[in-house]
Amino acid sequence: MNYFCGFGLMKRSLLLLVLGVVQCDSLPDGIPDHEVAAQWADMTLHITKDTPANSPTFASRCLGYIGLTQYEAVVHGFPEYQSLVGQLSGLEELPLPEANARYSWPMVLNRAESEILASIYIQTSNQNKKKIDSLEKRIYAILKKSTDQATAERSNAFGTALARAIFEWSTTDGGHRGYLNNFDTDFKKEPFPGSWKPPLFAQSFSHHPLHPYWGENRPFAPQNKNLPLPDFISYDPKEGSSYYDQFLKVYEKERQLTQEEKELAIWWSDDPDVTFSPGGHLYYLANAMVRKNQPTLIHSAQTFARVGMAVADAFINCWKWKYHFFSERPNTFIPQFIDQKWESFWPDPPFPAFPSGHAIQAGAAATVLISLYDNKTAIIDSAHVGRERDHVRNTEFVAQSFDSIWQIALETADSRFFGGIHTPQDNQVGLEQGSIIANNIVILAWKK
Amino acid sequence: MEKIGKLVTKIFKNNFPLTFLIAWLLSCGALLAQGFTDISKEAGLEHYFEVYEGMFGGGVAVLDFNNDGFEDLYLTGGMQPDQLLLNQGDGSFEDQLEKAGMLKVLDFVTQGVAAADFNRDGFKDLFITTITLKNKKQKIPRAQNLIFINQGDGTFVEESVAFGLDQTSSFSTGVAVGDVNRDGYPDVYVGNYFTDYDGGLKEISDATIVNAGKTAKGYLYINRKGKKLVESYEDYGLNHRGFSFGGVFTDFDNDHDMDLIVNNDFGYKAKPSYLLENQYPKKGFKYVEKSQGMDLRINAMGAATADVDGDGWLDYFITNIRFNRMMVRDSIAPTPFVDQANSYGLELFTISWGAVFADFDLDGDEDLFVSNGDLNPNCVPMHNFYFEKQGSKFEEKSLNVGLRDYGLGRGAAIFDLENDGDMDLLLINQKAVMQYGTETVSRLYRNENKTGNYLKVKLHGTQSTPSGFGARIETFVQGHRQTREIDGGNSSHLSHNSTIAHFGLGEHTQVDSLKITWPGGFQQKFIEVPVNQLLEVKEPNYSHPSNFPWKTLIIISIIVVAILKFRASFMVKS
Repeated sequence: MNYFCGFGLMKRSLLLLVLGVVQCDSLPDGIPDHEVAAQWADMTLHITKDTPANSPTFASRCLGYIGLTQYEAVVHGFPEYQSLVGQLSGLEELPLPEANARYSWPMVLNRAESEILASIYIQTSNQNKKKIDSLEKRIYAILKKSTDQATAERSNAFGTALARAIFEWSTTDGGHRGYLNNFDTDFKKEPFPGSWKPPLFAQSFSHHPLHPYWGENRPFAPQNKNLPLPDFISYDPKEGSSYYDQFLKVYEKERQLTQEEKELAIWWSDDPDVTFSPGGHLYYLANAMVRKNQPTLIHSAQTFARVGMAVADAFINCWKWKYHFFSERPNTFIPQFIDQKWESFWPDPPFPAFPSGHAIQAGAAATVLISLYDNKTAIIDSAHVGRERDHVRNTEFVAQSFDSIWQIALETADSRFFGGIHTPQDNQVGLEQGSIIANNIVILAWKK
Repeated sequence: MEKIGKLVTKIFKNNFPLTFLIAWLLSCGALLAQGFTDISKEAGLEHYFEVYEGMFGGGVAVLDFNNDGFEDLYLTGGMQPDQLLLNQGDGSFEDQLEKAGMLKVLDFVTQGVAAADFNRDGFKDLFITTITLKNKKQKIPRAQNLIFINQGDGTFVEESVAFGLDQTSSFSTGVAVGDVNRDGYPDVYVGNYFTDYDGGLKEISDATIVNAGKTAKGYLYINRKGKKLVESYEDYGLNHRGFSFGGVFTDFDNDHDMDLIVNNDFGYKAKPSYLLENQYPKKGFKYVEKSQGMDLRINAMGAATADVDGDGWLDYFITNIRFNRMMVRDSIAPTPFVDQANSYGLELFTISWGAVFADFDLDGDEDLFVSNGDLNPNCVPMHNFYFEKQGSKFEEKSLNVGLRDYGLGRGAAIFDLENDGDMDLLLINQKAVMQYGTETVSRLYRNENKTGNYLKVKLHGTQSTPSGFGARIETFVQGHRQTREIDGGNSSHLSHNSTIAHFGLGEHTQVDSLKITWPGGFQQKFIEVPVNQLLEVKEPNYSHPSNFPWKTLIIISIIVVAILKFRASFMVKS
């Protein structure tokens, strides 16, 4: 008796198991348009994070092209919008869809995103390339259920051609395969008072600064090419000078960091060795906005295009100024003039200080997001939830919530001050310039 | 005598400026008698280490390669040629790299070096680490390491292939030697900075290049009868990675086997430093850095070993960027290691690489030399440290003793240049990549000490390694203990000190007792040892403690006998 009962149970659980497998494998009949865009943003962030030797500079550039590809893939399906061909630096032509032919625009996006990701991140692992491929196949299979064969083929062909053309254009911007030479060992700059020094408390083993010529790269928006130099408080190590005061503020803040401020500092640390870097963090928040608001396909795609190009252009200008001013970090000034034993809460990244890359990108991303969504949107940022706590600094990764989009920018900038690696002016100028750069993306003629 | 004393006092009382002058002159005289002289030029030393693309190096190993009783040197040069410097006995050197048949080394960008008699033929051989080839630009800098076997006739033969070193292309830093399995053949631990490649690099794609900057595992080479070095990382339970400057073999827990400290750069960001406890006679190591307080999350560049508090347990000075660490272990318990750099007066801001303890002033305690230098190409001059032990503290006196060099200091090693009983010093300096305020070349410092007695002890291992790596030597003078451990290399950043133990004894004219503890624990004692001599000690024949589990066997036999007896009595009863 007992024996049979046991057998029955086993049989039933086996059946459940089989059913379960079938259920897992079964594809839904449809997928919301915005979700196609969002799932490609997820994949973009995974590749950004999981590709070795990725730098915040190269990552930001890729986000620009990957975001733009989303937009160009679907723009022809929305009559009131137009392509950015002729509006972006050096982008004179892109393939066009056949007139009066049917397309599945999510399917075009699906193919184009897969193509651009695998091309621009050619250096990523085979495992990651398989992941890109699997996502494409899965989304294709879902969309195929409601798409005829000819439309599907046409959509895929257009997606491929478009992504290849965008990739081809990307190769001439100065940042193509930039990961091969993150730290140019031939770059030399004679030191001067207040100049950047290789960090003693460093994030990177390189004694050479990251991508010294990144500022010469071609920006997406032509207006972002020749922006005027921002003002920089001139070097004066005397106690009481404005310059000294900038560092004194960093020093005093570090002495009295609250646990919340420490959490904020590591939350935005966005170390490119283990995360998707600051640009990716902002792309992540753009994705959170898309999932929260569930907008149309064109609006979703436009979100990623604007944020991607905004952070890319922000970094090009940021790097231009970083190497123009070649300014020191608090870790160089404070031990020399204020307190020899001082050390920042967070280690120094391997490049000059002014202006802050985090602030300029966050200022830029927030500005373009505000152009598309209500600034008063409440957002929860779970980008690093689940990461192992920071043992060295005895601090957890705690989700952050924001009452408005602009608050993201402010807290990002503040986090660098709490981390002790940026002065208030680095952040202030970063935010201001980020807004200006983003505005040059916003004012492109997106609509006819 | 008394009269003269009174006279001097009278002069002092009546003429303060003169008193001052005399005191000053006297102190100058005392300083001259204690300090160091840079004799690089007169000794014929012309060397600097040139970095490959802003990377690391280099080091110096002390060895007497022709067994003439004078210690010779091997200096790595990086992009510059290495040098095999024969000590000519008159305080000068001659580079015999070419004469010794070692020109193959010129094809490589070298890093660290250690000397050991790998094949136990009575002559010290050389193990040299490399990071890449010199004349062939490689997209990813990697190369095999090198072993040169001493032929006993002043020449070396490169036998890397025969020893099995050509199987991996690595970016190697420090090399240390120690007998891990106590078979008498020196085993090797090599630290790697960036990830390595088995079987070389055949196809290079963008993916290969972006992976090249990852942390690396090290190599544990077990020496098979002096014929082969077999990589046995996994076999010995090792699985760690890091941006490593290599390890130091040492017996931290006084159980007479070779444990291993592994120094890692960027410990706060990548992998912290490790402490590996040898499980001998069981095969393998156990990671104990956390429980021992040695999981340092710093830029660990090198380690120097000494018993700074005289408790018979070894302590470790770990070099770092900014502030060095003095990891001291308490004899009572013993407790985990605690950083006491501050209380020892060793906490001075700088960037340190090599470090070596020695009783430079022969007053009966160990002083500490630390070689400092900025990250190259940053090139802000910073001077070396000479920490003189004074009571329970150290005092930085590089200026007073003539060791305040501002070059880009890296590896350093101690040895007795002219066999006069005091420790001289070879310091490796890097050539500055950018403009530099002062000359930065390697230096040979002659110790000018004229006071204080000494004792040098040279071990000849028979069951242990020929140099007695890891053997512990203790002297006792009027109850005062001094401890030395025979250095297996990489103790002073990519360098290898003399394996002749050196003790300063001050005014004492004899060592009351001298204790040698060979690896495995066999002890030899000598009493009333005369000073100012080189004592050579051969390891006696003693029964080798076997791996056979006698204890377990005895316990099992007792149980079996008991059972048999019990059964017998039971059977009788029934």
